[in-house]
Amino acid sequence: MQLTQLTHGQQGVVESITSSESSAKRLADIGFVRGARLQMVRPGDPCIVRIDETCVGLGFGHQKHIYVGGS
Amino acid sequence: MRTLPRAATGTASATIALIGNPNTGKTTLFNRLTGFNQRVGNYPGVTVERTTGKLKCSPSDRPITIIDLPGTYSLSAGSADEAVVLDALSGRIRNTPTPDAICCVVDAKNLRRNLFLVTQLIELGLPVIVALNMTDLAQAAGIEIDENELAKALGVPVVPVVATRAIGVEELCKALTESTEGDTPPAPVVFPEEVNVHIDRLVTRITRSSDERSIAPPPRAIIAQALLTPGGFHEHRLLLEYGDELAVSLATSRHQLSKIGFRVAEIEADARYAWIGGALARCQTSSKLRDISLTEKADRVLTHPVSGLVILILIMGAVFQSVYAWTAPLIDIIDAAFGELGVYAAGLLPAGALQSLITDGVISGVGAVLVFLPQILVLFLFIAILEDCGYMARAAFLLDRFMRFLGLNGKSFIPLLSSFACAIPGIMAARTIENTRDRLLTVVIAPLMSCSARLPVYMLLIAIFVPNTQLLWGITNTQTIMLLCMYFVGIFTALAVAFVLKRTLLKGESQPFLMEMPTYKWPSPKTVFHRVADRGKQFCIQAGTIIFAMTIVIWALGYYPRPASIAASYEQQRTTLEAEISEGFASLAAAASSDLGILEDSLATDIETLSARFAEFNQQFTDTIEGEGFEEGSEAYVAAVSAYQQRVDELTGSSPLGEYALAHYHLSTSTSAKLNEVDRREAGDYLRQSFLGRIGHFIEPAVSPLGWDWRIGTAAIASFPAREVVIGALGTIFNLGGEQDEGSSTLRSTIVRAETPDGEPLFNLAVALSIMVFFALCCQCGATLATIKRETNTWRWPVFAFVYMTGLAYVMALVTYQVAIRVI
Ligand SMILES: Nc1nc2c(ncn2[C@@H]2O[C@H](COP(=O)(O)OP(=O)(O)O)[C@@H](O)[C@H]2O)c(=O)[nH]1
Ligand SMILES: [Mg+2]
Repeated sequence: MQLTQLTHGQQGVVESITSSESSAKRLADIGFVRGARLQMVRPGDPCIVRIDETCVGLGFGHQKHIYVGGS
Repeated sequence: MRTLPRAATGTASATIALIGNPNTGKTTLFNRLTGFNQRVGNYPGVTVERTTGKLKCSPSDRPITIIDLPGTYSLSAGSADEAVVLDALSGRIRNTPTPDAICCVVDAKNLRRNLFLVTQLIELGLPVIVALNMTDLAQAAGIEIDENELAKALGVPVVPVVATRAIGVEELCKALTESTEGDTPPAPVVFPEEVNVHIDRLVTRITRSSDERSIAPPPRAIIAQALLTPGGFHEHRLLLEYGDELAVSLATSRHQLSKIGFRVAEIEADARYAWIGGALARCQTSSKLRDISLTEKADRVLTHPVSGLVILILIMGAVFQSVYAWTAPLIDIIDAAFGELGVYAAGLLPAGALQSLITDGVISGVGAVLVFLPQILVLFLFIAILEDCGYMARAAFLLDRFMRFLGLNGKSFIPLLSSFACAIPGIMAARTIENTRDRLLTVVIAPLMSCSARLPVYMLLIAIFVPNTQLLWGITNTQTIMLLCMYFVGIFTALAVAFVLKRTLLKGESQPFLMEMPTYKWPSPKTVFHRVADRGKQFCIQAGTIIFAMTIVIWALGYYPRPASIAASYEQQRTTLEAEISEGFASLAAAASSDLGILEDSLATDIETLSARFAEFNQQFTDTIEGEGFEEGSEAYVAAVSAYQQRVDELTGSSPLGEYALAHYHLSTSTSAKLNEVDRREAGDYLRQSFLGRIGHFIEPAVSPLGWDWRIGTAAIASFPAREVVIGALGTIFNLGGEQDEGSSTLRSTIVRAETPDGEPLFNLAVALSIMVFFALCCQCGATLATIKRETNTWRWPVFAFVYMTGLAYVMALVTYQVAIRVI
């Protein structure tokens, strides 16, 4: 499912990222890669997602390209 | 393995670059290592330019230079501030030596993400030292890191530190000094064999073609970046250098990689995070179950779409209220002090050009500006606290949707917010915006945010012309609200300009929001202090240089020439007046003597003494009224008047000379007023025919629709180099024009008294509004324009900014004045 569908507190593992190459690269640099575990802290547009100890604010344009599976 | 071009070993000096993710404490560490006070803040993008300093503990025979750099998540530069890092690494920045070693600053709480960059850096072939920073916060979060294991896995030294508390800094210093001497160990192999083959093939190709042209080939890691980041910064650079032949090789390699099942853009991230996962399993343990951190709890409220916005607005309101209310008494004190200083200096110096230069030029000019120092300091106190506690990123987060609606992006928010302090760092902070069009847009609207240099203009005029009425049960007042409105004039105009530009000149898709939300922390007093002190110093330097110079220029233009004909004609008037006065006094004494039958000699002096008592009473009366701030018509005022009247009556009745003394007193006040009036007219005549007056006369038709006279117009033009100059210029011009009080001449009292040639007050609320709107929107700041030129590399954008802002300022001031005179 898309990252946008995660609800507050729900966790997931990144399955794929379908953004353009440059966006995907940016996301990867900051930790969004296949296999990364994340948790939705504040759903919405933009949302806040936690990866490890970092919270990252993500706009809808990024969220819709990130697909996650259940943990 | 290829290495970056290195300074020959054994040279007398060495350079170490501080590199790391944004907000990992690089600058804090830099300040520790060098003793500097570079700006630190708890959000990504504080540092956007390199700074160099000398390592404090470096051996005397071999000084080590440290370079502080902007933060970056990886070596595949996306934005201009990240490009600075790459340029510094390859020695492409002028006056900055190529680094001999890298100190990678790592946030211990976020090892996984931070190690991504570390593994890239190690591949560059330079010695790398990892500074494992924020170990205090990691410990608090229950993360244990075995630094020896980590050092083994990476093959480079790892030094745990806490930059804010200087823990481990000595060890780091030692490691840094040693690092520039030893050999570089091989980097860990992170890419799969199949990928390495292709990278090696490219390296051979490029090396061959470099040798042919006898240039130094780029390091292997950079070639790998070019291969694995299609369309990226490095590919672009290498293609420029090596041309089409390389393009073919890159395409072939990528094609072959994808044939065996790789997705080129994902190779690097997958490989590195896989390697990092393995390394972390060996050296990092989370000892306790993660409980909900304070930051998360705070964010539940602070980033909530409703409560978050309400709090944001409350914070802004509180800042304005304090800037206004806290500083007013201080301003009055400083203002009065400068007024007294002027009187004192005037007494010390002989009348003439020098006295005029010091009192009318320097003291009224520079003094009028320095009065506003407290406000600047209080404003920066708040800015510094907000910056260092981690709130800025949240504000950007909250306003992202709104910004996107206008065609901006959440990342534009931080540069725009910084512009409230000063547009220059704001414009530079726009480097963190990857998209060029978004960056340009942010740069051209940033100067519309009301920077702290506009504060004095607003404060001066609001304090005089906006009635101070309590609102909301005394929580705030009309003056604060007016100040807030002035800020909104700038904000709304900026948003409207953005809206238009985004749909015309700078069309295009903007990037979605992506920003790390740093952990909240208590602002460090040291950081806050330095931020405030820095700005205070800058303000004083500005006052001491540009404003000082401009006021002298304005003074000189307004003082010269001084034709003798004016002096002669007024000398004539003065002599006539003086003769009238002594005649008046003589006839009073004569009348008293004949009515009362007393000898004349002592009589005249007795009348004078009594008359002085009346003057004393009057002085006491006005002091009470002004000191207590009694309003005319109020009960207290009426009481004071009748008390005064009673004292006057008593004194009149106390002696047979009373009547005559009272008449003497009235005569002397009216004649001294007449004399003052002559002085004032003389000063006005001098000013009108001075160089400044002639220029002013020329521009008057252009500014009179705004409700300004030529004096305001010339002050506005004179303030082109820096907008604070307008305050100094007004002070000087009105003082030269003889508009000041007889006593201490503060700019405020001068402005209240200033008159048009018809004797009407020059300033009123409509004029004040029109001036404020003009200054809110105009681009009176040479330094800002120079910065735009530097950041965009062309004169086109500074010229554009200047023209559109000045045009808008004029039109809006015109509309404001014309509406205001009809409504008020
Ligand atoms: N608790 C803690 N905070 C730190 C440490 N080092 C830096 N900081 C804070 O982290 C924030 C970012 O620091 P800064 O030097 O601007 O990071 P830069 O962006 O990497 O230059 C500031 O608020 C610092 O006070 C540390 O070791 N421990
Ligand atoms: Mg920094």
